[in-house]
Amino acid sequence: MTTACAGMQVVRPVTAAEALACVTTGSARLVAGGTALQLDWAKGLPRPDRLIDLGRVAGLRGIERSAGGIRIGALTSLGALERDGTISEALPLLAAAVRATAGPAVRNLATIGGNVAGRTGCLLPALLALDADLEIVTQAGRGRKPLSQWLAETRDQPAIVEAVIVPLGQDTARWTHRKVGLRAAFTPSVVGVAGMIETADGVVTAARLAVGGGVAPTRLHEAEALLAGEALADVDWRALHAAIEQTVDAPDDAFRSGRYRRKVAANAFVHGLGGTLPGRVPHRPRPVPRPCEPPLGELVLARADAGARWHVRPDGPAKIAGRLEYLTDRRAPGMLVGRILRAGIPHARILGIDTRAAEALPGVAAVVTHRDVPGSNAFGIVVQDQPALCFDKVRYVGDAVAAVAAVDAETAERALALIEVDYAPLPVVADPEQALVAGAEPVHETGNLRRSLNFGRGDIAHGFARAAHVVEATYEMPRQMHGFMETEGGYAFVDADGTLNVCAGGQHGRRDRLQLSRILGMAEEKIRVVTSPTGGAFGGKDELTVQPALALLALKTSRPVRLQLDRAESVIAGTKRNPMTIRMRTACDADGRLGAQQVDVIADAGAYASLGPGVLETALEHACGPYVVANVQTTGRLAYTNNGVCGAFRGFGANQMAYAVECQMDRLADACGLDPVEIRRRNLRQPGMPGYLGQTVAPTERLREMLDAAAADPIWLTPRGLSGDSTEIIGVGMAMNHQGTGLGTIPPDPAGGALRLAPDGAIEALLGLDEMGQGLLTSIQSAVAAALGCGRDDVRPLTGDTAKAPESGSTTAARGAHVVWRVAETTAPVLAAKMLSAAGAMLGRDRQGLAIAPGGIVELHSNSGELLLTFAELARALPPDQLPSAATSFEFPKSDYFEGNARLIFAFGATLARVAVNRITGRVRVLDLHQHTAAGPVIDVAAYLGQIEGGGVQGLGFTLTEDAAMRDGRYLTGNFDTYMLPGIADTPESMATFALEDLDAADPFGPRGVGELGIGAVTPAIANAVADAIGLWPERLPFDPERILDAVERP
Amino acid sequence: MAEPIAFRLNGVDRRTEVPPDTRLIDFLRDRLGLTAAKKACGIGRCGACAVLIDGRAVNACLVMAWQMDGADIVTPEGLETLPHAKTVRQALAEANAFQCGYCASGFVVVLTAYLRDHPGAQEQDIRAALEGNICRCTGYRSILRGAMAAARVLAEPDRDVPSDGSQSDASQTVEASQ
Repeated sequence: MTTACAGMQVVRPVTAAEALACVTTGSARLVAGGTALQLDWAKGLPRPDRLIDLGRVAGLRGIERSAGGIRIGALTSLGALERDGTISEALPLLAAAVRATAGPAVRNLATIGGNVAGRTGCLLPALLALDADLEIVTQAGRGRKPLSQWLAETRDQPAIVEAVIVPLGQDTARWTHRKVGLRAAFTPSVVGVAGMIETADGVVTAARLAVGGGVAPTRLHEAEALLAGEALADVDWRALHAAIEQTVDAPDDAFRSGRYRRKVAANAFVHGLGGTLPGRVPHRPRPVPRPCEPPLGELVLARADAGARWHVRPDGPAKIAGRLEYLTDRRAPGMLVGRILRAGIPHARILGIDTRAAEALPGVAAVVTHRDVPGSNAFGIVVQDQPALCFDKVRYVGDAVAAVAAVDAETAERALALIEVDYAPLPVVADPEQALVAGAEPVHETGNLRRSLNFGRGDIAHGFARAAHVVEATYEMPRQMHGFMETEGGYAFVDADGTLNVCAGGQHGRRDRLQLSRILGMAEEKIRVVTSPTGGAFGGKDELTVQPALALLALKTSRPVRLQLDRAESVIAGTKRNPMTIRMRTACDADGRLGAQQVDVIADAGAYASLGPGVLETALEHACGPYVVANVQTTGRLAYTNNGVCGAFRGFGANQMAYAVECQMDRLADACGLDPVEIRRRNLRQPGMPGYLGQTVAPTERLREMLDAAAADPIWLTPRGLSGDSTEIIGVGMAMNHQGTGLGTIPPDPAGGALRLAPDGAIEALLGLDEMGQGLLTSIQSAVAAALGCGRDDVRPLTGDTAKAPESGSTTAARGAHVVWRVAETTAPVLAAKMLSAAGAMLGRDRQGLAIAPGGIVELHSNSGELLLTFAELARALPPDQLPSAATSFEFPKSDYFEGNARLIFAFGATLARVAVNRITGRVRVLDLHQHTAAGPVIDVAAYLGQIEGGGVQGLGFTLTEDAAMRDGRYLTGNFDTYMLPGIADTPESMATFALEDLDAADPFGPRGVGELGIGAVTPAIANAVADAIGLWPERLPFDPERILDAVERP
Repeated sequence: MAEPIAFRLNGVDRRTEVPPDTRLIDFLRDRLGLTAAKKACGIGRCGACAVLIDGRAVNACLVMAWQMDGADIVTPEGLETLPHAKTVRQALAEANAFQCGYCASGFVVVLTAYLRDHPGAQEQDIRAALEGNICRCTGYRSILRGAMAAARVLAEPDRDVPSDGSQSDASQTVEASQ
């Protein structure tokens, strides 16, 4: 019955008595489904010496119904419970609890016995309210006892739950169940409630109320006593609410307060059992909006409407079939596995690093530290302040100190544990404001102020003095995590000719190569960087991630090495969005015309700058939104701290600023009694005006059109107020945004690309951009086919490889679309001319009479479309060195302002959100999200739609659930169990994306990228919708449901 | 050191010796080189590693070798043995359901198992079935559109098990029902 092994032993008893006997020796753990184990171990709980698998123990299976109730064998999976007809029919309360527990695939593994025996499971409130019993075996024997009694007892002896027995209550019993979490579904429980009231002739004969999930699972006997014997019609719900708030024993944790849990539990019981919720439903009259027509030519982006413009992306089927090899999927014989040693402490001086024991471990091929860095041990896109491997001190918990390559992951992990680093801890700088106080501990020798920006225009004192209305607020925004599904990783190897190949997800291969060349002291020509395909980036793979460690290990071992961060390591080491606090004071006259605005931004850089300076610049470049303000003063400071490194993230400061600006606009509209559309209309910048910084901006400004589109949108006119079941208050909000594309005037922003006829007849499009999911490949096919006249399938994109593709610049800042389009437009005519000349020579015809068509060369104006020559035939007939090609290189279009970083090209949008504010929980649910965009011609409908929708839901997460909070330099979240990426249940009931494609006649810039546009106005649209519902503009992201609940309840 | 286990993988009976706490996802990716299932959180909170065990979708990062003994395991590489997997994949591809695609194989496994038991499922059922799968790129709308297109095809009462010949019919239906 036992299997011995090194490390952990698994025991497989066949009776409960045998199983109990196994518990008595050493550290042991009884296991059923085992779904909690990885989570427990990831949190640092010790691994037991032995696991006792209950799977073969007799008598623990089956669901049996008898007169007394339903006996559920402890090994019954939650999935089986969910599918069982008896349970859903006879025990709907339990069925509801099961559906709210974990996610579907976890439920197929997890068992009811495990959920109960762990004593914190989400089923416990329901089982307590159902008055369930347990069949339990202990060393004293087999017995049956009430669940409530078992939970109250101390755990002094091992016990095996054999079955849960649930009595069948009254058919007509009134019941309620609610699990309140951090997001809509598949969430840790903040508090769970379950209640059951049985009645006879309108009088309560039995009441059982229970809480659990985030609070200790227990019955609420005092509250029950207020119900028992009462006529339902006479129940004092207010007293019941107070009793529940007083009796629930709820702790504070990193995510929610005990006060919130108590309040929500009381609300949930009172509402769920038929009482009236406390608080008010605000009446929020709104000025009647002017009727408006949507802009002419605005398209709804949907497959049904796209017709021939809907294309299946070329990499889609392979990804869906699991056949596409990501750079972290590479496995090869002899390939070593790398791991990185992280600091684990936020700030310390390094006194010594001893790697001897690790190097001596059999199976370890190499250990590298700063002593192995041959070049400059510093990297960073803007300033080179981050060591590849730390040498003097560590500045955040994720700092890389050493790296190991070994024969397998287990050996590499053991080796990491053998590296001894001697640290002298330093004071931790955990707050950007505190970091800038005189005498603060310096994170870097250069001081903690990394970047400071000041800009002014006009006279704000004068502007504020003349104002009829002034609003001032401080908007706080969190450290959002990119949460790309493929964590940072890849592989590296050295070629026979000595070329170092580093293949890891990234966003600009040539810049990665430049940075590696500095670190390695190696010529760029000796380094090849492959950056595609990447499993998501959103800015989080713009800076170097694992590449330095991979390169150092491959060079030291001369063997291929793979390395991928596990999620927990990615959380502590990876780049995040810079947390920002924006203080904004805005004035308007009695007609709502803006007169003055003062903006102060403080941003947390974390331990290293990365692109933080650029983020701060971009935020301040959007400081007045798309509005004209005569008197402006803005200041911005970026501070080093010992928090996690921050940098580029979709939106890049502009979405943060739009949150503040667009809430200010609605607040001023409210103060003036104006419609939110009308106040914006009175202040919009007009086409042709200088940009915010005074720079020249590109034509095709579409702000008025976006405002018209918003005003004409049907959800703007949908009913607001109380929901049908009175649990939610509905509100509608809108916000505008504009987003600069490209890197701006100050940084170099090279671009380019090439087309060529390949030997096999493919039209190869060579672009040094990266496919990260956004649809680069499909966009290249569309753009090249349109420019050249060939078919989409004729085009073979070659991207993300410095050995194959030329410099195109970074795949960031929504710049890719313009680069792809311009490369195609510039090179296609040249390539076409060369191909037609070659074809003419072969066919003995004048090239003027030939044309390029899908598949090959046709007669110009041919009716039949008959191919005279396929591309493959043309290619085969030409010597390889005479295959036609065309290349271009250019600087991404820049404006004429160099005092600060200014953009030339902008894209425009307006977003509307309809939200429901929950009166029980204070949580906000987005019902509808409509995004209107104007970014020039749409290269690929599906890719454009995907960017706007995906950006929209990322913005929703930023607004409602996401925060990689830190305390004293340590992350409070370690993985996706508590970092709440939006799940499918959080996605709005309806979403719609609109595009206005036309360009001004004189506009030479073609399509604008939309990678960042979709996130830009989501937060303020939701915030304004909440204010529409309840009169409160949330000033902190993610919204705090406790503050919202307080606002709803305020008399 | 290692423990002998016997299981069926993508229709083939296998025996091997492996430490009992080796996780199924690591076993598949690192020992067998089957990398279609992805490891994105490692604690059962994202669904990227979903595989079928005895016909049910489970998180391969939560399953250890000692739990594999006797199991019938289907990974994304073997999913086409389920007759309707092609329809599901095709509908998702035509909807351009995914972007970076790293979550895709997990969604496909869960959805294929769900639609086997619930052909013709409605949007709210599909949403509930996909609650355990995280996608960071799409905002889920495109996945929902593809999933509902697949459900509509699978709900046709006279629909045959797709052969290569009937695939084009299925795809036309997807087109028509959009």
